[in-house]
Amino acid sequence: MTFSSGFLSLLVHGALIWCALSALGLGGLLLKDILRGESW
Amino acid sequence: MTEDKVLLEPTIGWILLALFSALWIGLGIYWGKRNRNFEDHALAGRNVGLALASATAAATWITSNTTMLAPQFALQLGVWGMLAYSMAAFGLILFAPLAGRIRQLMPHGYTSGDFFRLRYGRTAWGIFLVFTLFYSLTWLVSMAMAGGILLEALAGIDYVWGMTVILAVCVIYTMRGGLAAVIGTDFIQSLIILIGIVVVGFAVLRNVSVEQIHADLAANKPALIDVLFPAALMAIFNNLLFGLGEVFHNNVWWSRAFAFREGVGTKAFLIGGLVWLPIPVAAGFIALASGVLGVGVPSPDMVGPLVIANVLGDLGAIAIFIVVFCSLASSIDSLLAATSDLITEDVYRRLIQPAATPERLKSMAQWITLALGLGTWAVCVPRIGTLASVLFFAGPLVGSMIWPIVTGLYWRRASSTGAVGGMLLGAGAGLIAYFQIGWFVASTIGTAVSMAWVLGAASLSKERFDWNRLKEA
Repeated sequence: MTFSSGFLSLLVHGALIWCALSALGLGGLLLKDILRGESW
Repeated sequence: MTEDKVLLEPTIGWILLALFSALWIGLGIYWGKRNRNFEDHALAGRNVGLALASATAAATWITSNTTMLAPQFALQLGVWGMLAYSMAAFGLILFAPLAGRIRQLMPHGYTSGDFFRLRYGRTAWGIFLVFTLFYSLTWLVSMAMAGGILLEALAGIDYVWGMTVILAVCVIYTMRGGLAAVIGTDFIQSLIILIGIVVVGFAVLRNVSVEQIHADLAANKPALIDVLFPAALMAIFNNLLFGLGEVFHNNVWWSRAFAFREGVGTKAFLIGGLVWLPIPVAAGFIALASGVLGVGVPSPDMVGPLVIANVLGDLGAIAIFIVVFCSLASSIDSLLAATSDLITEDVYRRLIQPAATPERLKSMAQWITLALGLGTWAVCVPRIGTLASVLFFAGPLVGSMIWPIVTGLYWRRASSTGAVGGMLLGAGAGLIAYFQIGWFVASTIGTAVSMAWVLGAASLSKERFDWNRLKEA
């Protein structure tokens, strides 16, 4: 039994999109913290 | 590594190295201005917010191994190899509740050593210090060595010069800026790494589709897409437990739990783990494309950079150079800071100079950072090639500390007998397994033996620990 092409595609594209969203999310979080004066 | 041809012109490598070195040192000096005493230097004033906290958790866990070894795992263990590597994210995710508990129980704590000393007494504390210093120093040396080797392989920069520059830069900004500089630079480094991986990943996918990769693997290397690949399935458990042991015991993570603002620790480690989770897949799948692209792989640990440079040329080589440099710096600085704080607090303050002022402790931490840097440099210069196996050797040691920590944080019955016996027996059994069977079961056996002893001792114990004693730190 092998992993299907669809599964591999979902895994790879999902991981890349997840990384992109993580970068955006961290940037957004920092902006929010700075605006609230809570970055550190 | 046997590749003679470098991926990037040495001049470009040196320019990139100089630019990023100047940036990190400048930021370290700027952020260091706010540090007045040891608490500011070691714990960034205990007031780090959610964004910086989450990013530093993820960035510190992204080592050069994550970006270089993940493709190697994919090349050798296939789809399961990438997923097995991703399991290390659970070290951060499962530490999340512990971080909140640590901050709550030890509002004045500095190090993981403080926990062992107050919770289990001096014998357990001593064993913990030996285990954790062995692990931390080995990790530090292996990272610095990896830095020299990778800069040489990627840009032809001489090993000793590359290793010296990356170590010196991290020592300077960690000395001047303490944990604040480490956390601040970690944020920038985490964004650079994430963006670099995404850009490179999608660029590779523009040249070769996942369907082509799958068809090539099915025809030539079917084991790599086999759902039941035994070696890869075993690697999942070993990676999971090694990751748990590394995060649960090491002062790199405890110092962050103390440094994050109250209420932030749990969320930050959870977010950090989730940020880290897809990176081994996003960075690793590139190796699976080597076959369909016809890229020769003389050395498996260079497969990622070789494929990227083949597909993207100089721009790809520049991207991988920056990602690797950031990955190395984000781990070396954290190890320098956390290990110097551990030696300052647990050795200098507790054993040598209990009456030292906060200003004196800060100064001592800076000198210890410098000494660690010089010591690491001296060990790295001869370029011993066997440190990766030494790091695996540390697997049973860190695995044996998981249960004393977890039970010690949540269970009043957890006893010193359980902690001391668990660490010694777990480490001993794990090391026997390491030599008799192999590295891939050493952490698992060490953790299992430690668990049995710790739980057995706790169930028989008449001790009922008073949590208020942890507030003395």
